[in-house]
Amino acid sequence: MGIQKDIVKFNVGGRIFQTTATTLANAGRDSFFGALFDDNWDLRQHQPNSSQEFFIDRNPDCFAVLLDLLRTGDLYIPSNVPERLLYREAMFYGLIDHVRSAKWGPFDGNRLKLSRSVTGRAPGDGTAIRAGPDGGCCVAHGSMVHVFDWMLEEHPPINLDYQRVNDIGWVNAENVLISACERLGKGDGGMGLFNSSTGDLRHKFNVVHDNQIKSYTAGALSFSPDYKIFASCKGRSNEYGIGVWDQVTGKQMDFFYESPGWSLGDADKLQWLNGSNCLLVATLFPRKDNCYISLLDFREKRMVWSWSDIGALLTVDEKRVRDAIAMEECNSICVVNEYDDLGFIDLRINGGSVRWSSRSRLLKGKLPDEPCYPKLALHNGQLFSSMNDCISVFCGPDWVLTSRLRRSYGGSICDFSIGGDRLFALHSEENVFDAWETPSPPII
Amino acid sequence: MSNQKKRNFQIEAFKHRVVVDPKYAEKTWKILEHAIHEIYNHNASGLSFEELYRNAYNMVLHKFGEKLYSGLVTTMTAHLKEISKSIEAAQGDLFLEELNRKWNDHNKALQMIRDILMYMDRTYIPNSRKTPVYELGLNLWRDNIIHSGKIQSRLLSTLLELVHRERTGEVIDRGLMRNTIKMLMDLGSSVYQDDFEKPFLEVSAEFYKVESQKFIECCDCGDYLKKAEIRLNEEIERIAHYLDVKSEAKITNVVEKEMIANHMTRLVHMENSGLVNMLLDDKYEDLGRMYNLFKRVPNGLSMIRDVMTSHLRETGKQLVTDAESSKDPVEFVQRLLDERDKYDKIICQAFSNAKTFQNALNSSFEYFINLNSRSPEFISLFVDDKLRKGLKGVSEEDVEIILDKVMMLFRYLQEKDVFEKYYKQHLAKRLLSGKTVSDDAERSLIVKLKTECGYQFTSKLEGMFTDMKTSQDTMQGFYANHPELAEGPTLVVQVLTTGSWPTQPTITCNLPTEMAALCEKFRSHYLGTHTGRRLSWQTNMGTADIKATFGKGQKHELNVSTYQMCVLMLFNNADRLSYKEIEQATEIPASDLKRCLQSMACVKGKNVLRKEPMSKDIGTDDAFFVNDKFTSKFYKVKIGTVVAQKESEPEKLETRQRVEEDRKPQIEAAIVRIMKSRRVLDHNNVIAEVTKQLQSRFLANPTEIKKRIESLIEREFLERDSDDRKLYRYLA
Repeated sequence: MGIQKDIVKFNVGGRIFQTTATTLANAGRDSFFGALFDDNWDLRQHQPNSSQEFFIDRNPDCFAVLLDLLRTGDLYIPSNVPERLLYREAMFYGLIDHVRSAKWGPFDGNRLKLSRSVTGRAPGDGTAIRAGPDGGCCVAHGSMVHVFDWMLEEHPPINLDYQRVNDIGWVNAENVLISACERLGKGDGGMGLFNSSTGDLRHKFNVVHDNQIKSYTAGALSFSPDYKIFASCKGRSNEYGIGVWDQVTGKQMDFFYESPGWSLGDADKLQWLNGSNCLLVATLFPRKDNCYISLLDFREKRMVWSWSDIGALLTVDEKRVRDAIAMEECNSICVVNEYDDLGFIDLRINGGSVRWSSRSRLLKGKLPDEPCYPKLALHNGQLFSSMNDCISVFCGPDWVLTSRLRRSYGGSICDFSIGGDRLFALHSEENVFDAWETPSPPII
Repeated sequence: MSNQKKRNFQIEAFKHRVVVDPKYAEKTWKILEHAIHEIYNHNASGLSFEELYRNAYNMVLHKFGEKLYSGLVTTMTAHLKEISKSIEAAQGDLFLEELNRKWNDHNKALQMIRDILMYMDRTYIPNSRKTPVYELGLNLWRDNIIHSGKIQSRLLSTLLELVHRERTGEVIDRGLMRNTIKMLMDLGSSVYQDDFEKPFLEVSAEFYKVESQKFIECCDCGDYLKKAEIRLNEEIERIAHYLDVKSEAKITNVVEKEMIANHMTRLVHMENSGLVNMLLDDKYEDLGRMYNLFKRVPNGLSMIRDVMTSHLRETGKQLVTDAESSKDPVEFVQRLLDERDKYDKIICQAFSNAKTFQNALNSSFEYFINLNSRSPEFISLFVDDKLRKGLKGVSEEDVEIILDKVMMLFRYLQEKDVFEKYYKQHLAKRLLSGKTVSDDAERSLIVKLKTECGYQFTSKLEGMFTDMKTSQDTMQGFYANHPELAEGPTLVVQVLTTGSWPTQPTITCNLPTEMAALCEKFRSHYLGTHTGRRLSWQTNMGTADIKATFGKGQKHELNVSTYQMCVLMLFNNADRLSYKEIEQATEIPASDLKRCLQSMACVKGKNVLRKEPMSKDIGTDDAFFVNDKFTSKFYKVKIGTVVAQKESEPEKLETRQRVEEDRKPQIEAAIVRIMKSRRVLDHNNVIAEVTKQLQSRFLANPTEIKKRIESLIEREFLERDSDDRKLYRYLA
């Protein structure tokens, strides 16, 4: 082998490192090293012979970790390096995205490990937790929303006129949407868009009925890939229904008024179905006496599918639907009752009935004092269902129980969310939330 | 005192406020500012990237992001102002070069500044919603250079001047042009559009307006179109070389509008070289060019189409109403076919086979073919001519082609039933006289008619073929049963189904006794095998071959019609016969007899009879003799009848009348069909639906339909609504 020409020597905070320009090229052009080796700043002008080192006034321990990250693609943080310091150094070198993507692996419900538990200060029960697209999350308690980035560092909390928050959602990594109750007599409440890192209010969404801007209470939220925001809305003069806004302009585009005898404005859950171009709207017990699930086609302004348990004979078990999620690949809607029984409704037949599968009924008879309603989530063909203090994972065409996530304290799980390759679970007691992530893939 | 003193004694809280050196920010910024200066002055080699990066990082970290950012804006603006001056100072052609050089410098500097300020770009800028460094650099360049008063107008006029010079044939530095345009595009599409594209389009419009005016004054249509095409291609090429692809549609639009749309009418109607002349001279290339250019502008193609249609209708009208051409039906149809071929070729070669043009061609033909009421007859005659003799030695494919073309003309006919009438007559003659050349061709045409008009249309024609076939079998059976008839004259009978054939009730002439006996035998044979039928002889349609020996012993076989045979046989027993005697003996109708005598006595080379007095016409007082001096170099002599191939005026009227008569039941049937399904319908709708239903056969006359409705009301198929007289009601 000849003499390697691309060897570079660094003196970082007094420690000498030797590496190659090729390794550092892994950092990409938009980084400290990318600029350093650019023709404009040709490093070698300052280092005519490779024996002379290049000085960087930074922490050598962190540099070592980051250099290994560039060499191997793996992140290994020794116990003597505080994580926060490492992140700060990574920010300096412009390597923070490398650190983030190396920190945990691609999401798999069956390989999840608890990464951290974060205890909040907020009083009262949590309302909702939502995972952000880059691994951060936001938690709603009463009228406040606490935002955490992927390093689980807390950012300034957000509120919408201090009104009770009903739902939250990430429009993208920088923006969080909050839906809240209205304050009578004022234009307060409704729906607002906030900067996730600074907490600034960027836009407040209006609802217009008969060319008049009205105050309203916003409920469940959903987003579609063509940049639309859907929210269930309640106005004061029976203006109930689903509002649609454009994410780009912030203007209201549409409003689907609920018809008599049906419920849309009180919905617990909205879900945009990309394949069928419809919005799933579910209003469930106990918010209403009955459960209403429907699919809305906004192009035709039509309810294309609906199901309700009005008039259905309630058995002794009282199987009331507590959450619902559409599974487009299986043409069905999965529902869950308070005993963690899963049920399925066929989407292809209008007015079908729930086919309950009793297989998963494992918890019957030992309900805790303060039960939380079960929640459902779907991710990459895996179905997640929360019940009391654990989350069950179901896989395969028959939805077999494959894993269970449980932690010892914090009490029942009142909400959970999957996003940015992480699962966040919010407990009803002590305001604890857990971040679960999949470890990096094995070396071999 | 001491107490007081004690009270006064205080321990100062140890307040160590962490204050960053107040001059820290200023000092750090000075370092960075200096670096920016050095970068702009091409003096960056002395700078340490690590130091600058760290300083910028520290400023952001210590909350001096705002100061850093505003400092950057100020410094960069100051530099750009300097640059702006040096660009302004550049003389003449050097202006663009200087601008380009400075733009490249600025880009490089911007890249380096962004590198230094990378941390600010990542953290401070998104959170404070400011413009990222690179974009900021572009915006400042735009505001301080491109939009500075002295440069903006000069840049525009320089660019437009260069384009103009290229248009007038000069060679320009396209690379420089491309770089400059690319700079404008990099600064944002609105900069490119406002600072270049809009004025460029305006100037181009003016340029082409003047040029097109110049061309149209001095060029003929073909040349003008050539020039327009070249200009259009030049502009497209220009786009590819140095303009934004998105401008292509816009600039071609300008050229199209100025060079084509504005002069369309004048070009099309240009004297001696316009569209009509191109069509007349088959200028496919010019026509194709016109099509392709006119296609680009609104209403361009419809204009070509309209002019072509009116020209076609005009010439077609002349063709069909020209008394000269009506004399020879074959020539008439041949000219129609030629005309169609010509336009087919034009549409195919020049007009890219466009559907709309084909439709225009079809509608024009439909228009003028029906102007001449004899067209159906002529087309049938053309087919007759082709099938009688024209197809000898022609390959099967060519036959198909000819027949297909005829079918094309047939499709244009509105009175298809008239065609059917004539076709039946002509087919009958061909079949009976055995003149048809190719059975396959005949059948192929029938199949075509069938696919075109349905089973009904051809069922009778097919019946005629069946009759011919069965007759052959019948004759074989007859001679097999009567072997004694092998000697003596041979009789060939074709038994025709009444109704299938265009027969006229004719008085049977007196046959010679030999023949009459034979016929009687056949009648008894036929009726013996087929009970319940009636045979009547159509002596006007038959032919005969007879052997004749003339005065000097010359022997000939004469091929004659049945009538002629009857006349000639009389001369076996007499030398001289007067017209009256012949008429009495044969009982042939006068008109037919005259024709038949004329053909035997007055046609040179076929004059087997001699007439006294010698004249062209037959008089009732004439006398006839066998022409002993008859000679012919052929053994077989065919003596034709003097028949007008074309129908004579009274015959035509008669056919017309029969057609009208045949239409009545068809109209009535259509009315009943419609009313049966609709139950109640108003007058106008009945007319419309009947016309539509019968369209494939003929164009029903509204007054005739009205008459038929009246007749149906009389016969109580329909009634008028008692409230609304316009409504008809179906009576079941």
